[in-house]
Amino acid sequence: MFMLELDSIYKSFYRKRAVSDISLKVKEGEIYGLLGPNGAGKSTLIRIINKIIQQDKGFISFKGQILSTKHLNEIGYLPEERGLYKSMTVEEHAVFLGRLRGLSKTDAKESLRYWLEKFEIEAWKHKRIEELSKGMAQKVQFICTVLHKPHLLILDEPFSGFDPINIELIRKELKQMRADGKSIILSTHNMKSVEEICDRGMILHQGEKKLEGNITTLREDKKEGIFSIQFQGNMIAFANALWTGYEIVDKEVLADNRFIVRLKMRGENEFNDLLATLIPHVKIEKAEEILPSMEDVFIKEVNGPQNTSDEA
Amino acid sequence: MKHSWLIAMRELKERVKSRSFVLMALLGPILVLGLTYLLFALGGSEKKVLNVLIMDPQEIMSGKIMPKEDPNIKYSFTNTYVDFEEFAKYEEYKPFDIGVELNEKVLSNKHIKVMYRETPSERVKSKIQYQVERRFEEILVKEFTQLSVQKFREIKQPMQFHFFNVYDPKNTDSKLSAWAGYFFGLIIILFIFLFGMTILRSVSKEKSNRIVEVILASASARQLLVGKVIGIGISALLQFILWSIIIGTGLFILRETVFIDLLDPSNFNAQQMTAEIAQASMQEKLFAAREYNDFVELVYERIQFSNMLLFFILFFIVAYIFYGSFFAAIGASMGSESDGQQYIIPIMGLLLLALYGGYYTVYYPEGPWSSLFAFLPFTSPVVMMTKLGIGFSANESWELFASLGILLGSALLMFYLAGKIYQNGILQFGHRLRVKHFIKWLKKS
Repeated sequence: MFMLELDSIYKSFYRKRAVSDISLKVKEGEIYGLLGPNGAGKSTLIRIINKIIQQDKGFISFKGQILSTKHLNEIGYLPEERGLYKSMTVEEHAVFLGRLRGLSKTDAKESLRYWLEKFEIEAWKHKRIEELSKGMAQKVQFICTVLHKPHLLILDEPFSGFDPINIELIRKELKQMRADGKSIILSTHNMKSVEEICDRGMILHQGEKKLEGNITTLREDKKEGIFSIQFQGNMIAFANALWTGYEIVDKEVLADNRFIVRLKMRGENEFNDLLATLIPHVKIEKAEEILPSMEDVFIKEVNGPQNTSDEA
Repeated sequence: MKHSWLIAMRELKERVKSRSFVLMALLGPILVLGLTYLLFALGGSEKKVLNVLIMDPQEIMSGKIMPKEDPNIKYSFTNTYVDFEEFAKYEEYKPFDIGVELNEKVLSNKHIKVMYRETPSERVKSKIQYQVERRFEEILVKEFTQLSVQKFREIKQPMQFHFFNVYDPKNTDSKLSAWAGYFFGLIIILFIFLFGMTILRSVSKEKSNRIVEVILASASARQLLVGKVIGIGISALLQFILWSIIIGTGLFILRETVFIDLLDPSNFNAQQMTAEIAQASMQEKLFAAREYNDFVELVYERIQFSNMLLFFILFFIVAYIFYGSFFAAIGASMGSESDGQQYIIPIMGLLLLALYGGYYTVYYPEGPWSSLFAFLPFTSPVVMMTKLGIGFSANESWELFASLGILLGSALLMFYLAGKIYQNGILQFGHRLRVKHFIKWLKKS
């Protein structure tokens, strides 16, 4: 059973299409990346899932049931542009949002205590939000999002405002939640995070689904047959060894007569042929096929020949 | 409803904890009590004790004026004449504020010269005149009649003419009662404006700091709107209750302490003095004293506080929902926190129209405009409170309930429309608010 299923979702604002014919399925224990440039329709889609706005067409189901307001208590949502009530204390805030999500006052306080201890920030409990730094406030927002132990977590740019240590802390928590069988939809521009923690993902552009699938598969699909060889030896000997079946894309000179060369294979040549050709001439230190980063996949998809837009 | 209640309680807590709420709860009643005190003290009640020197060479007064001491006037006596210059410059007369010269023919010519350093108030002038005259009265009665002073005073009482309107023998439609009702209407408008602006600021603040999106993921826009209006409304009612308690206690304390001598009708100072002043044909003083007494009577006797407060609360709640919806709709539509301020001006115009409607009703309670304003939801809260102050006859009371009904219907309609604007506008950012936005969001389902 899927945690969340979207079937042919369509939404327009005053005749302007925001999302069109979007379908997706998020499994239990999966982190799903929602990628796309600004204005691609990610926020609209997220708001539809949170029932903040209503889709014009299409269906959404949650754990096999048509999504309704009763399911909202099982969803946690951290919007991209998030705020807090500045005059409230951390505890007041958490209890208020927890109760809106169906927790009792006692449970909300207990859950808050757990998270404050986990993040080693118990001293913040009675601090007013206005006394917190931006990073501290972001942490409180994250806690408020997960306070009610949601089964589906929707995070829009969750790492913005965090320092690298806290980014790692949040990543670790997200991985733990996945291991606990929870589903996470992650909308972000941070492609490194997508590569690291997302299992599957979708690239949205101008309200339409451009790509969807396993993150590794998406990268595999976009690979161009480029290999990286790090070796020690003579660069001329290296070039001579390569016959017409290879094309050098670029090179990097390292110390001690060492080089990194990126090259493309032509014709029917394979990786093993390349290695067999080079081994007699240079000392190979490292050799690998280069997979495009998610950033490359993203840029290529968004800036493809049919999309000569200004959203690069 | 649970979500709306949670939102309302959060809003209420935030309001009650804010400094402005505490300041308003203290300063508002103090201001009202201060104004009341000033009106009570009309005619000038001196705080200090005035030293009055009676120059009585023939010792007519036998060194006394009053059987018991006046708390504000201390009389001293001298058996010499003191002229203006001596009174002004001599060290021995410096402690005296006022000098009263009883010349040798005073019993026949009835002329008394009074000299002063600072112009005394009308009330002090009246008091001195009244007290000295009464002492003369005692002396004259003893010297020229066989009557007791008490008997003489009974006889000399002037005829009091009382004028009655046959259609309103209790004089309930006096302007003062109407003004009292208008005052309640004014408080409604004041509270609506203050707390309406609170709704607007609160909505636009939530919108600009984007907490609204987090809330909307748990509660609907309508639940948020209802919660906000209820929460701020309760804080307004709480504020009003605090005002009522503080003002009520203040008025009680004023009656029991500061104005005890003036407010007790059996007290010689208030009633007798007025009669004496009237007898002396001192129209201005009479007017001042009457006005003072009327106000006291209005506050302590004439206003039907229970009735007024009941309808005040009813009209306030419904009018607050009516006008509060406008403020909420504007707050939700604003593209930024500073945007949309210009749309407050028409609402202020409507609130001012309500005040004008009430003012008009004070003077023309039966006028055609007055009847229109009484049922127009924009103006009816003030106009109806004014009319309530004047009083309704039994066969007119339907007007009160009809007006309240129309206001309630309009408030519910406005709330529904504001809800649509709120729902569609709350997540729109960065635009410059125009009328077309309202129309667009109203049309949208």
